Order: sequence, then structure tokens, then C-alpha cells
Amino acid sequence: MMKKLLSILLLFVSYQALAGVDPKLLIRDLNKKFNQVSDYKADLYMEFNLPGVKMKNLKGKVVFKKPNKFKIKAKGIFFLPKQNPMQNMSEMLIDTNSYTSIISGYETVEGKNCAIVNIIPLKAQDELILGKFWIDIKNPLVYKSQITTKNNGTIETKSIYGNQIKYALPEKIIVKLEINRIKVPKMMSVDLNKKSKPKTGIESKETGSIQLNFSNYSINANLSDAEFVD
Amino acid sequence: MKEFIAILKNEIIKTIKRPRSFIGFGIIAFICLMLQSAFYHDGKEILSFVTGQLENVFNVEGKVLNGNLICFIVLQTLIVQMPLLVALVTGDLVSGETANGTIRFLLTRPASRTKIVLAKWIAGLFYTLLLLIVLGFFALFVSHWIFGDGDLMALNSEGLTIISADDIIWRWGYAFLIAFLSLSVVATLANMLSCIMDNSITPIVSVMAIIIVFTIIGMFDLPSFDLIKPFLFTTHMISWKSLFEDPIPFHDIWFSIAVLIIHIVLFISISIFYFNRKDINS
Amino acid sequence: MIGCFFMGQLFGYKNNLSTILISLLSIILYICINYNKSMSLAIQLKNVSKHFGDFVAVNDLSFEVQQGDIYGFLGPNGSGKSTTLRMIMGLIKNTKGEINLFGKSLNLNRSNILREVGCIIEKPDFYNYLTALENLQLFARANQLNFKKTDFEQLLERVGLLGREKDKVKTYSHGMKQRLGLAQVLIHNPSLIILDEPNTGLDPQGIIDLRNLILSLNKEEGKTILFSSHILSEVQEMCTSMIVINKGKTIAQGKVAELLSHEKIHVKLEVIEVDKTIQLINQSNWKELFDKMEENVFVMNMSKDKIPALVSFLTLSGVSIERIDYRNQLEEYFLKITNQ
Repeated sequence: MMKKLLSILLLFVSYQALAGVDPKLLIRDLNKKFNQVSDYKADLYMEFNLPGVKMKNLKGKVVFKKPNKFKIKAKGIFFLPKQNPMQNMSEMLIDTNSYTSIISGYETVEGKNCAIVNIIPLKAQDELILGKFWIDIKNPLVYKSQITTKNNGTIETKSIYGNQIKYALPEKIIVKLEINRIKVPKMMSVDLNKKSKPKTGIESKETGSIQLNFSNYSINANLSDAEFVD
Repeated sequence: MKEFIAILKNEIIKTIKRPRSFIGFGIIAFICLMLQSAFYHDGKEILSFVTGQLENVFNVEGKVLNGNLICFIVLQTLIVQMPLLVALVTGDLVSGETANGTIRFLLTRPASRTKIVLAKWIAGLFYTLLLLIVLGFFALFVSHWIFGDGDLMALNSEGLTIISADDIIWRWGYAFLIAFLSLSVVATLANMLSCIMDNSITPIVSVMAIIIVFTIIGMFDLPSFDLIKPFLFTTHMISWKSLFEDPIPFHDIWFSIAVLIIHIVLFISISIFYFNRKDINS
Repeated sequence: MIGCFFMGQLFGYKNNLSTILISLLSIILYICINYNKSMSLAIQLKNVSKHFGDFVAVNDLSFEVQQGDIYGFLGPNGSGKSTTLRMIMGLIKNTKGEINLFGKSLNLNRSNILREVGCIIEKPDFYNYLTALENLQLFARANQLNFKKTDFEQLLERVGLLGREKDKVKTYSHGMKQRLGLAQVLIHNPSLIILDEPNTGLDPQGIIDLRNLILSLNKEEGKTILFSSHILSEVQEMCTSMIVINKGKTIAQGKVAELLSHEKIHVKLEVIEVDKTIQLINQSNWKELFDKMEENVFVMNMSKDKIPALVSFLTLSGVSIERIDYRNQLEEYFLKITNQ
């Protein structure tokens, strides 16, 4: 497995050399944008589309403070991916010494010519296995990402930017993940009026998504730590 | 009409003052408090079989263990106990008096047998309503007092439905109404068997046997059972749960209500017909 | 009408219209007489039968109870008494025949009729988990009576239960329950009272009290009473008329005095001078009434009214009579006819 990965890496390195885009520079410019933000607060609107779960969309607020305080406040029950796309992305990219970055290709996303930057952690014991980021070459911003971790599988995010583009703060993030359909034993659900369904015999993963819509950003407002306490 | 109201008042007084009527209230309180205590101490572990499936991928935010969820679970666990508690009293309304001999007094008064059966039936429904009120108090209000408010994570065999706390009160209202209708079928069935049989125990045992057998049929996912499930009243007794789905299947709920009402009308008609023709030899 | 027509012809009424009018008047008179007769009847059974499958519990039973009567209803166990009483009260439907109370059909006028009837069938039963007063309150409500506290107290006093009304009925003795049963019967002041073996379980004082109550209800309040009892001496004491049934059929019925007037009973005389007594009886008209002898006991088959004469005869002849024993006349009569 490791040998395969290395050979692929070599190919990517050659391709990158041919393309002429330095991934480190892209990430550096991106990190500059991240570093402008000490904290932020925004209104959040969450839309859920998960297999086996029916729930209404939820309004809330999101708060962030450097280096790693992050909280979503909303009334009610909701689900957030274990890999927080906003927090993980910046955390992952900030420490440039902990990973190697190579460009594996180019793709147009949202009309932007993006380099596909692969982040490979240098330490084998790290939670991250592989991170792929589609970064706009002209104005370094992550428009798409695919992050694979040991415990949480792969999640795919798509980011759409609006007014806060200069801070690399998105207007919208769409998180796609693969999950097994939730099963509740009939004895617990006590569903007596459901007709029997034919069993397929195969339990396949289904794709779900969570869309986070951000608005009314308040950036570098000197948020206190009390904002992060329940 | 005055005569009927007088008889009805008598029946309600007799039903409420019977010692066994208090058994139902006591058992409901005990079961609710026991479940609430279990969830209070070990709620997260108990829920983990559902939330565990999500926690591989998600962080579940918000107050999952709240009064609404506890109420939802308590109501489901009482699907067998509540009909028994209803039948314990309603199954004895006529047969108990037949066995005791007091039926002779009742039937030698001017009131017709039809009025007597109807009065007993309504007294049985009144008792059923009281049981539900007690259940509602413990399951809903006491649960909220202990666990607080929050969104309801409603479990069904197809997954989860999360219902906002702001959107739940009216659902509980209608759920209890449908539950009352469901238990009214049990009360009417018990009343019918009570009119037919001459001892106290047989109607109660018969009602429980019928409910248990029908419930078991309803739980099995077999195509051959799918043919008869729509006609079993136990299939529709749990239809209150449909109010906690999204979208609410109003068509299915109305169908369940219709089936339950048909059962009630059928059982009470048989009761009146049989009781009017019955010779009182005891 | 036909008879009237011929009567008219016989007496020379040539005008047919007159004959018709006379006939009509006769019919109306007949109806009025029968109506009055039926209205004076508290209970009328006409050819009443009850079948339980193949078993015939009551077979073509007919009798009438006049208003104001105390009517005895007798029969051995299993004779159909209870079944008949249940049919009269509408607890059981009769297979054949008519049952009329106060001149009205029970089937068609049940509600109105039962307002005037109070009964105890088998035994009085109550809601044992309630107090006596609560039971009476239920009974009053069932009869649509607006009783006040004083009304209940008067009723309880009448049956001898005042002071025990707040006790639960399950604590009552059998006799107290019988008294409470009477209160249940009397609560709505019925004009017809049906009692099925009301003496059962009563002590001697209770039996006397019940007798006095029944007599009072009949004589002072004009109530009609139909009751069955196995204490035949009580029946003979109180009843004006009676019926005896066995195996669902009438064995005898009529006025008690008439039925028993010619009936003889076995009188047992225990004497000291046996030989002298033998001689005296053989030499007198008493010989015809002699039945048998058991040691020093002479058994005579005679009517009750002749006992004083026999005792006087023997005593004046120097015979010492230690004991005189005889069955109640009705008992003798009852055993005789039911064993036939």
C-alpha cells in the first residue's frame, strides 16, 4: 500500500513540476487569509439531508476564536460531522511542517481554475490519512476538499464564498458523507403498522449531506471565552 | 335522559370507588417513575444503540435526553400494560356484577338493559380517560420536570425523526386523543366480553390474550401477515406514533381512526344485542 | 254477541238494531269486568313456560295474585320457583305464555311496571366495598329519588340499621344484609313486593321482625306481597293465598284456609299409662283416627282443631300426657302433595 502511494506521489511531483504551480505558495497565501481572523461570529442556517434521519433545518450561531475554539449554538438537536470542515481545514493547513503538499491535478470548480493539492501527514500516527484541497490558483481559496481520517472515513466539502472572501470565510459549506442507514430494532420502535419490506441482504452505505449557510459575519470582534461556554 | 344520567352517575361512582381501580393509577405511576429513574441514571448508555450509529460520523449536538424523549419511550413501553390496566376494570363492569349478584338489582329497575350497558360502557371510557390523564401527567409533565424540554428524537423502524420542541405540544395533544381512542377499543371489547361472560376473570384474560396475539402478528414482518394487519385493531393502536413522523401521514392516521371507531361501534352493538337477550341465572 | 242475539230473538225483539246494541253493550260490560279484574290483579301468569334447551324448568304455569294479598309461593328445591320469580321480574325471558303485572304486559310496559315493584331474588347483594348508606344512595338514584339525609335515616331505622350506615357492607352479618335488602326493596315505596326466601339466615328475633314488617306493609300500607319460604309455619301464619309447584308445574293453589281446612296431620302423644290409653282409644270414636304406636307414643291422623278434644278426653280419663308433638299443617300438606 505504501509503495503504491509513493509511486503515485512521484508521478504527481513530476506533473507539478511540469505545471509550474508551487503548492506551498498556494497554501502560504491561503494561510495569510486565515491568519487575518482572530475570531468571528456569524448567523448559521443548517440544512440536513441524511439517510434515515428526518429533521427540520435549523437556525443558529457560530463562534470561533484562535487557535481552536469553535462552537455552534442552536436550539435543538442537530448533527455536525466529526471533522468540522471549517476548523479542520485551517488547523490542517496552518502547520506547514507537519505535512507534505503536492499537486495532483487541476480542475475547474465554481468557474475557478483550481489546483488539487494533496496534503500527506509526515507522522504515521496522525489522525489524518490524506487531505485533498481544490485551491483557486489566482485567489487562493479552498473551493472543495476531501479529507480522509482514520476514525471518521472520508468527508467531502464544497465551499462557496461571498462577502467575506478576503478572510477565506465561506458563505456556504456543503458537507457530503457516507453513512449507514440508521437501524432501530422493531422492539424499540414498536412499529406495528408498517408493511414488511423485501430484504436486499446487502447493507450499503448511503450518501448524506449537511449544508451550512453563514451570514452576518462579525470578524475580529474580540469575542470573550464566555461565548464558548454552554 | 334524566334516568340515563342517574344510572351513569351511579356507574361512575361505582367504578371510581372500586379498590381495583386504584391499581391502574398506582402501576402507571410506578412504571413511569421507574423508567424515568433508569433514564436519569443510565440514559446515555440506553440511547447509545441509536446514537452510537451516528457517533461514528457525527457529533450529536443538543439535548437528546429530554422530557419529550422520555415521554415518547414511556408511552411505547406501555403498549401492553395500558390495555391490561383498562381491561382490569372495564372487563369486570358487567361480569363482576353478574358474579356478585348485584346485576339482579340493576336489571329489576325501570332502566332498560340498553341504557345500563351504555352507562357501564361510558363509565369504562371515563375510567380509561382518567388512566390516560394520570399517564400524561407522569409521562409528560413529570418527565419535563426531571429532564427538561428539548427536541424529540422519535425512533421508528426506518430511522429517526427529529421534531422541534416548539412543534410538539399539539402533537402530544392529538397523540393522547388517538391513544384514548385506541384504549377505548380495548375498553369496549372488554365491556363486550363482560356482557357475554359471567365471571370476572375470563373477560380480562381474554382481552389480554387477544391483544397479545394480535400484537405479535403485528410485529412480524411477514407478507402473509400483511393481509390481516390492516384489520387488527392492535395495528392501529400505535397510530399515535405517526404524529411524530415527518411528513405526518394524515391519510394513514385517519384510516386508523376509522378502523378503531368501526371496532368500537361493532363491539358496543354486540354488547347491547347480547345483553338484551341474556337470561340472568346468577 | 251471538248469545245476546238469540236472547233478543227469544224475548221477541224483532228489531235487529236493538239486538245489536244490546250485544255491543254486553261486550263492553264484559271487557270492563275483565279490565277491572285484571287491574285488581297484581300478578297474572298465563300458561307460562321456560325451557333451557331440552330442560323444562317451568311448564305451563298459571296463577294470579290479587292486589292486597300476601301470596305464598312454595315448592321443593329445583321446582322452578326461582325461575318463575326471575321471569316475573324480567331477569329471564319466558319461552311461552304471558306475564302481566297490574293488568299490563311485562314485555310491553316493563319500565312503568318495575317502578311499582321491589324484589329480592335469591339473596340481597350489595357493593361490598361501599358503605350501607352509599349503597342506598345508589339505589335511590337508580330509582330517580331525591332522597335527603333524613329520608335515608327513616328507612334505615325502619329496618333496624340506623347507626351502622357508615360501615362498609362487607363488615355486615348475614342478618344485617337481609335487613339492608329490605331497605333496598322498600326505598321506592313499591306497591308489589316479591321476596324469595327472605327468612334465610335470620335469627328467631329477625324472623319475628320480618313477619311483623310484612304484615305491617300489607295491612297498614296495602302492599301486595309475594314471597317464598321454606319456613312453612310463617307462610301459614301470614299468607292469604298460595301456590305449590313442583317440577315446574302447579300442584295446588288457592286460599290457604281452604286448602288446609280438610287436611289432617300426624299428632304424636307421648303417654305414661300405655295400656290404659290403648283401651281408651279402642273403646272410643278416636279409634278411627288412630294411625300407629311407637313404644309409648301414639300417632293419630287427625285435623288440628280436634287436638284439644283428644287431650281433654285422655286427661279426664286419667292418662298422663308427657308430650304432644305435631307437624305444622302446611308442612304435612306440602310434603304430601309434593311427594305424590
